[in-house]
Amino acid sequence: MIKEKIRDGYFHMTDDLSNVNVKNVMVKDVVTVHEDDSIEKLFDLFEKYHYNSYPVVDNEAKLVGIIDQDIILEILMFDRSPRTKHTHEAAIRSLSDNAKGIMIPHPITISSDANLHDVADLMLKHRVNRVCVVKDGKLAGIVSKRDIINEVYKIKKV
Amino acid sequence: MEFILQLLLILLLAKVFGEAIERLGFPSVLGEISAGVVLGIFFLGPDSDVLSSFAELGAIFLLFTAGYKEINLKEMRAASKIALIPTLCDVTLAYSFGFLLGRAFNLGFIESLFMGVAFSTTSIGVVVKTLIDFNYLSSRPGTVMLTSAIFDDIIGIFMLTVVVTIVTFDKLPSGIQLLMIAIKMAGFILMMGFLGYKVFPMLFNYIHRMHVKESIFAFVVMVALFSAYMAEVFGLHAVIGAFIGGAILSNVPFAKIEDVQRKVSGLSYGILVPIFFAFIGISVDFGAVKSAGLFTVLVIVLALSGKLIGGFIGTKIIGFDHYDSLIFGIGVMPRAGVELVVLSVGKKVGIITDEVFSAIVLMVVVSILVSPTLLKFAIEFKERSKAQLT
Repeated sequence: MIKEKIRDGYFHMTDDLSNVNVKNVMVKDVVTVHEDDSIEKLFDLFEKYHYNSYPVVDNEAKLVGIIDQDIILEILMFDRSPRTKHTHEAAIRSLSDNAKGIMIPHPITISSDANLHDVADLMLKHRVNRVCVVKDGKLAGIVSKRDIINEVYKIKKV
Repeated sequence: MEFILQLLLILLLAKVFGEAIERLGFPSVLGEISAGVVLGIFFLGPDSDVLSSFAELGAIFLLFTAGYKEINLKEMRAASKIALIPTLCDVTLAYSFGFLLGRAFNLGFIESLFMGVAFSTTSIGVVVKTLIDFNYLSSRPGTVMLTSAIFDDIIGIFMLTVVVTIVTFDKLPSGIQLLMIAIKMAGFILMMGFLGYKVFPMLFNYIHRMHVKESIFAFVVMVALFSAYMAEVFGLHAVIGAFIGGAILSNVPFAKIEDVQRKVSGLSYGILVPIFFAFIGISVDFGAVKSAGLFTVLVIVLALSGKLIGGFIGTKIIGFDHYDSLIFGIGVMPRAGVELVVLSVGKKVGIITDEVFSAIVLMVVVSILVSPTLLKFAIEFKERSKAQLT
């Protein structure tokens, strides 16, 4: 199977990926969270949509952080988690009542000028599933592993 | 070969004892110190250079990880106002108790100063579980405690640096020499701030594209070692450098990728920190504790009561009632990680004797054992009194 894939050229597509700009692949219509949104609102979001993470933005639509399922689960399970998880930061997070207080500040971002090869490399090397795409500090979109796989498949078909 | 066996035994016993203690409801640091005590009695002495170097790395990574994973500069700025007075009160009183006890027992001036520093830190992690169990983490004393504990440690680490730097002078430093210490410290912080805000973010943008394996993880470890080393170049102690190095990385996204944080945490809490705690246990001299009987008892009583009374007064000033002030005072009593780093530095630099070292380790153990129970009583006392009133 792998041999067939190599023969079909799936593994020689880095040049093709380098020619694709991330802004052409990213999802532009992103579900975001405002930094002042309440925790309850976040729970509603996780119930309504099925994304793993949500970018947090400020009043000027600048990306200020990210909230993922791990954080939400950590907050929900804080009182039942082992003592080793009772760190200062986790305690502060469990007490916060808005998105700003629980988000991971300074999320990993990539410029909207980057190409797909850079994004794929970043995701694989550092086990990141989704990367926020920014332009002038503002959130421009999100690109996920699934988007890249779909794009590779599309290029191959063409 | 012998060293490999020593390392294996230390890690094995630290993890087994740590797990047993965790299951008994206390923090694993107690188990790790106990593992060291057992090893110290039966197998090992604290004189192994390699083991001592590993323990030093453990102290550096303990503080680096504290800065790297636990410090949120923005959040601290926001919470600092309310916690300032209680923190200053509990640190000042605990410091005074430590210093005066040292002077009362005819310890040298520097050793007494160090006693004060060793009395000043707080480990909030010990009582978080109790606060959660009683739904008090989000209470007023709970939230102030959380911030205050971090400030206690930061103040403790800075005071440690001052005392350790003073030791390098043969006599008490003059005003100009003290000014030089302040300039060195400010210079180091400014340099690290510049690196953290300007250089490291740019550097990590390149590092994450490197082809070598684990480039980010390796560079995060390098930042820890670099900061520790540069602190020494500036005439400060390595541990303060490591702490500041960790804190400045909190603003660098690529250095804080979850995957990298897990690896740094694994290196620190999985390997190096347990070795450090076990080494503390190995270094405890029970003969010295016994011979310093009354001194040891007073160290325990005054270190705990200094925090309790200082915390009580400080929170009364900002308007807490008696019950909440008592809860706060007890909450800031326990000591653990940073305290042990301060101690090990004091011993290594030669400021404190075996008696003082061992007495303070015993104080740490007692503080961890009694604080959660006392806190539980204080909260129950408040609840009972409230119920009687209604």
